[in-house]
This record gives sequence, structure tokens and C-alpha cells, in this order.
Amino acid sequence: MRALAFAAALAAFSATAALAAGALEAVQEAPAGSTEVKIAKMKFQTPEVRIKAGSAVTWTNTEALPHNVHFKSGPGVEKDVEGPMLRSNQTYSVKFNAPGTYDYICTPHPFMKGKVVVE
Amino acid sequence: MTHAYTKVRQALCYGSATLGAAALAALIAAGSAAAAESHGVATAKAAAADLAAGKADDPVVLKAAPINARRVFVYDPKHFAAISQFYMIDGDTARVVGTADGGFLSNPVVASDGSFFGQASTVYERIARGKRTDYVELLDPQTNNPIADIELPNSPRFLVGTYPWMTALTPNNKTLLFYQFSPQPAVGVVDLAGKKFDRMIEVPDCYHIFPSSNDTFFMHCRDGSLLKVGIGADGKSQTKRTEIFHKENEYLINHPAYSPKSGRLVWPTYTGKIFQIDLSSQDAKFLPAIEAFTDAEKKEGWAPGGWQQVAYHRESDRIFLLGDQRAASKHKAPSRFLFVIDAKTGKRINKIELKHEIDSVGVSQDAKPQLYALSTGDKALYIFDPETGKEVSSVNQLGAGPQVVMTSDM
Repeated sequence: MRALAFAAALAAFSATAALAAGALEAVQEAPAGSTEVKIAKMKFQTPEVRIKAGSAVTWTNTEALPHNVHFKSGPGVEKDVEGPMLRSNQTYSVKFNAPGTYDYICTPHPFMKGKVVVE
Repeated sequence: MTHAYTKVRQALCYGSATLGAAALAALIAAGSAAAAESHGVATAKAAAADLAAGKADDPVVLKAAPINARRVFVYDPKHFAAISQFYMIDGDTARVVGTADGGFLSNPVVASDGSFFGQASTVYERIARGKRTDYVELLDPQTNNPIADIELPNSPRFLVGTYPWMTALTPNNKTLLFYQFSPQPAVGVVDLAGKKFDRMIEVPDCYHIFPSSNDTFFMHCRDGSLLKVGIGADGKSQTKRTEIFHKENEYLINHPAYSPKSGRLVWPTYTGKIFQIDLSSQDAKFLPAIEAFTDAEKKEGWAPGGWQQVAYHRESDRIFLLGDQRAASKHKAPSRFLFVIDAKTGKRINKIELKHEIDSVGVSQDAKPQLYALSTGDKALYIFDPETGKEVSSVNQLGAGPQVVMTSDM
């Protein structure tokens, strides 16, 4: 049991550490006032959001079909940031540390596209 | 050393021939009433005659005859195994004339001039894990030796149960186009003449590739339209959408039939409505849709089903559709019947009882075509005369789960 808890903690630490180093940082709790994006009907309902550097975006899946948020590696994104699949009413938050335009998709539905513009 | 080896080899060969002669005697005694002589019996007779005449065996690596209209390529993805297989069959004699190996979920292609066949495929450095390499391989159809091996950068292939039109050749056989699903829809361009990967063309959320000319292809989009893509010799591709041609609840199957030579796209739905699109003018011309089944038949559960559920014969303008009575959502289960339909009038010409559980259908493109009915469960290809509906021959032991039949429209 202890070993399992340790392994889980290690996995969580590794994931956070990997993301914290870059411009994008997955965060457990989004800071107050973060921007909300709802996922419904196979779409990111606000496909383009504008935020200030240092603030966060929280995605909420509102339908039964699982979706995620996936930033592919490219300019400004050192390594793929592939969020977990969200079931209905689950959320995922990413803090954006550097200005830029960050395109993302849903991994199993690559026709679902969105964009975060960080000023 | 070489001499000693030759002696041993000859002894082994003579041994085989002796066994063949014994087997022949047994076969002749047991099967003299058989109507037609099997390949095995004919070969045994020839070997026995050679032995009696004192003719030495001289083993060689055989060459297949050049591809003709009745060369059938059967691809076996082996139920998602890491290594797959091709079988080349001569439809006239129902004999396997060659095999070739493939990687994970290959997409087979056959040149329309018979100059090569090949595949876009995927291998890993440790069988099914480790570094992934996607590549395009072209093979000489007589020796099965590779004539080109072109690596595709960044593992762009779409790994999916084999859909023939996810990888396609342009009519001049000089360019291969393949589909990428993730991270975004795109079509890869491979320069076969120059033996090099060219580039990826980003496309909207559209699927499948139907080349209508050497620099133009069509795709089918999520919104129910077709997309026309000009590859662009200067590297600048152009896209244009057609009208939406089917409703959102009309589900078009993953295995449409397409004749690059006539530009005819034949696309059935789950219920047997068949959309036909003429791409020959380089613009999509939507022909009147056909219903393969009457309303009464639909109520009795008749619907298309299988893997490659439809084939199209260009010269006679006929559609061959696999169908059976089935429950809803059983559209991938095999069918026991084949419906022959006049593509122009939509009239049913024949209903052939195949007497096997058939998953895929193909047709040779000669004037009096053969019909190829592949059973994934039986691992066998049944060859029919579509005029009489009679089964004329069959080839069994085709791998683990053969699913795809391809011919060359020469």
C-alpha cells in the first residue's frame, strides 16, 4: 500500500516537474479568475481565448464522450503536453507562463481545435 | 565442399521425387473419378515423368508471370499482428504465385500499369515496440524484390484496420498519397519517381484519398461534403469543398469502391443507399443515389455488411454489393449474398448466393470479369463467375485474417 502511494506520488511529481519547466504548466487548482472553456457537442465552445501571461485556463467536459486538451510540441512548446481524458464534468487546468499563441487539439478527435493567445 | 553439398541436395531432391511418385500412385488409385486434375496431381505426374526420364532436379528461384487483370492481391493484416502478409494469386488457375511480407497494418497499392506493387507500412525495432519506422516499399511483381524503400519522417501513417483508399497512387503511378489522422488531418505526398518523401499537405477534417488526376485528389469530409485538393506542382496546395451530399444520419462505409480510370466513386451507406460521384471532369458530379434494397427487404433486415462490401466493374458499369439479413450495428459481420446492380439504372441484375461467409469482394477489370469473394473466417478466396453466379475455384490457407482484395485495372 505504501509502495503504491509512493509510486503515485512519484508519478504526479514527475508529471508536474516535466511541465513546470516549460511555458505550459498543468496545475491541480486553477487560480481564481482563470478563464473557463467548456467542451460540448464535439467542440471547444470558446475555440479562441486571450489571457495574460501567468494566468490559467480551465477546461470542463460537459458531455459523456471523453475529451482532452493536447498541445503538440512546436514553437514555444518543448514537449507534447497531453492532458488526461476528461469524463463528464471533469476539469483540467493549464497555467501559461510565457506570451505566445498555443494551438491545441483533442487527441482522439483531431478535428476539435482550439487556441490560447497569451499576451 | 560445394560438390559434396550438391550431391546431398540432389539426393534429397530425388528422395522427394520418389515420394511424389508414390503419392501420385495413391492419388490416381483413389481419385480417378475426379473431374479435374488438381495442381498437386499434375505436379506429381510431371515430377514422376522427370524421374522416370532420369532428368536431374535443378532448383531455381521462380519468377511470377507479369501482372495481368486477373492477378489478385490479398492482404492479411492478421488481426492487428505486428507482421502481416500479402498473397499474390493467379485468378485463372487459382494458384498462389507469390507472397510478400508487410509490417503493422500496411496499406497495399498496385500500379495500374502492372509495373510494381507495394505498401506503406510500419515496423518497430523490437518487433512491436521500440523505435518506429514508417516507410513506403515498392516491389517488382515478378521477383518480389524491393525496387524502392522510402522512409516517411515523423511516423505519419494512420494506423487503422486496412482501408484501401487511405493510401493511393496517382494515375501515372508516380506519386503515392497517404493519410495522416493525428495530430491533425493531412495527406503525405511521396515522390515514387524520385524515390523520396515530398511533403505533408494539411487538410480540413476529411478522410480517404481518391486521386482523379496526377495532381488532384478528393476526400470525404466530416460535414458530408467532398474536398477537392490540388497538390500543386509549386508546393502550394489548393482546396475546395463541394456541396454537402448526404445527411448526418446516413453513415457511409469505410470501404467505398473507386475506379481511378473512370473517376467513379461508389459509396454505400449502412442501409444500402449507394451514392455515386463522377470525378472524371476533376469536379464532383453527384449522380442519382441508388437503393440496393426495397423498403420491404429493409424491414426484413437486409443490409450491406462485411469489410470491402462493394466492388465496381468499370466496363460494364456494374456494382457488386455484399448483403445479408442482419441486426442493426452488425455491419462488419460477413454476408452470404452478393447483389449485382446496374450502376446507371440502379436495377438489380442478380442476387448470388455465395454459400460462404464473405467479408470482402473484388472484381477483375477485364471484359468477362471474375468475382473475388474473400472470407476472413475461412481464410479463403472463392472465385466466382458473376454472370452465372457459380463458384469456379478457391484458394485456402491465406494467413490468419485476410481482409483486403486488390486487382489492377490495366
